[in-house]
Parts: sequence; structure tokens; C-alpha cells
Amino acid sequence: MAQVTKAWILLLALSGASTALSVAVMRGMLTGTAATLGGVAILTLAWAKARTILNAYLRLDEAPAFRRGFGLTLALYALLLLALYLAG
Amino acid sequence: MTQPTDTGRSPFDDLPGDLMIWVLIVSELLVFGAGLAAFLGVRLTDPAGFAAAQDHLHRAAAGVNTLVLVTSGWLAALGAQAVAAGRVARSRALLTAAAGLGVVFVAVKWAEYAGKAAQGIGVETHPFFTFYYLITGFHAAHVAAGIVVLVLVAIRARPREVEAGTAFWHMVDLVWVLVFPVIYLLR
Repeated sequence: MAQVTKAWILLLALSGASTALSVAVMRGMLTGTAATLGGVAILTLAWAKARTILNAYLRLDEAPAFRRGFGLTLALYALLLLALYLAG
Repeated sequence: MTQPTDTGRSPFDDLPGDLMIWVLIVSELLVFGAGLAAFLGVRLTDPAGFAAAQDHLHRAAAGVNTLVLVTSGWLAALGAQAVAAGRVARSRALLTAAAGLGVVFVAVKWAEYAGKAAQGIGVETHPFFTFYYLITGFHAAHVAAGIVVLVLVAIRARPREVEAGTAFWHMVDLVWVLVFPVIYLLR
């Protein structure tokens, strides 16, 4: 199976997982700390999706130095979003 | 400027596609990244108001649009592989399908905006909606531009152009996977 096809399947799975988590929070299945952890998981899934697109669709897997640079920057940005989310 | 290595190669030669498309990708990511960080920053001033405003959004439609866009990105990536392998007709078909899913994305987004307008929700209703229209509207404009780019590179169907056009499309995809959870899902 082509790498982009594996990436696409992974992206579908990650998108489904983040939507399921959101629905669980909306329906009150996750409350309090669990709801907050649900938000943390949603942001983590978004980070994983962004990495997948960079590495597979945009082919940074073929340029390891740039993959590391983009990966580090993206991770730091995800941490910023996470901090702003948790501060609320 | 780029400094050649001892072998005469620039480090940027390792990047897939043209350097300029990566400059564009990085600049677009910075703009959207700043917008999303500002959104979460302003949210700190009124978390309850932002949560109430978010309840007016159609999360299922946005979820469907996520699946539409990542599938479109997959088709575009396959289209780039096809033209690189000399399979021009297959590449054109894949790029056209990718552009078609882009049209679906815009149509769903249009219906979403129409629903908000019918509820009397506008840019000035609440700061949440100011960011919502600004960020998702700017993104939708990029999707519309990306559709035109995909159609143009499908017509020309040359590896270099297709690589650049699909890279732009993947950037649009990348931005959406960050916009979707931050605007639509986070409570």
C-alpha cells in the first residue's frame, strides 16, 4: 500500500477519534477533568494529523533535516495552543 | 541566501518541490497559526461566551468537511505521483477529483454560513464569530484558490507544476486540521 494511502487512512481514523471525543464532551459523557483531558486529546490528535500531512502528503519524510525542523516547530506551536486551552 | 555545501548542493535541494512554494506554505502557516493562537487568547477573557457561541456551529458538517479535505489531499498526492510516473491521464483524473471534493468543501461551508446568516449571526455578534468568520472565511478563500490551482495544473499536467499545485493544496489541508479542532471542537 502506498505511503500516502496509509497516511489517508490514519488521517480518517484520527479525525474520527477527535470528533468522537468532542461528541462525548458535548453529550456530558466527559465532565470536569475528564472533559479537559478530552480537549488535550483533541489537540494531540490535531498535532498528529498535521505531522502526518507534513511528512506524507508534503513528503518531508524524504528530507529528514526539514522534517525535524518542521516537527519541532509544530510541536512547540501545539504546546502553545495547549497552554492557552488549559489556561481557560 | 542559500549557501552551497562542499558538494555544490544547497541544503534546500532536499526539500520536495520548489523552495518558493515552501516559503508560501510557511508564511500561510504563520498567518493562520497567529490567528488560532489569538482566538484561544481572546477566549480566555470570556470562556463561557465562547462556549455558548460555539454551540451555534454545525460540528457534524465541519467533521464531514474534514473527511472531504483529507480525502481530497490524498487524491492530489496520488495525482502528483501519477504525473511523476508519466501517467498523465490518471493524474488529470485524480487532480480533477481532488478539485471536485474542494468544491464539496466550499458548498458545505457556504451552507454553514447561510445557516448562520439565517440565525442573524454576523461578524459582530460576538468576538467568537469575528474570529470564526475571519479564520474560516480566509481558509475557504484558500480552498477556492486551491481548486483553481488544481484545475490549472491538471490541464498542464507537468510534474513540476503538479508538485507545486498539490503542495499548496496540502497546505490548505494542513491548516484545516488545526482550524477544525480549535474553532469547532475545543470546549
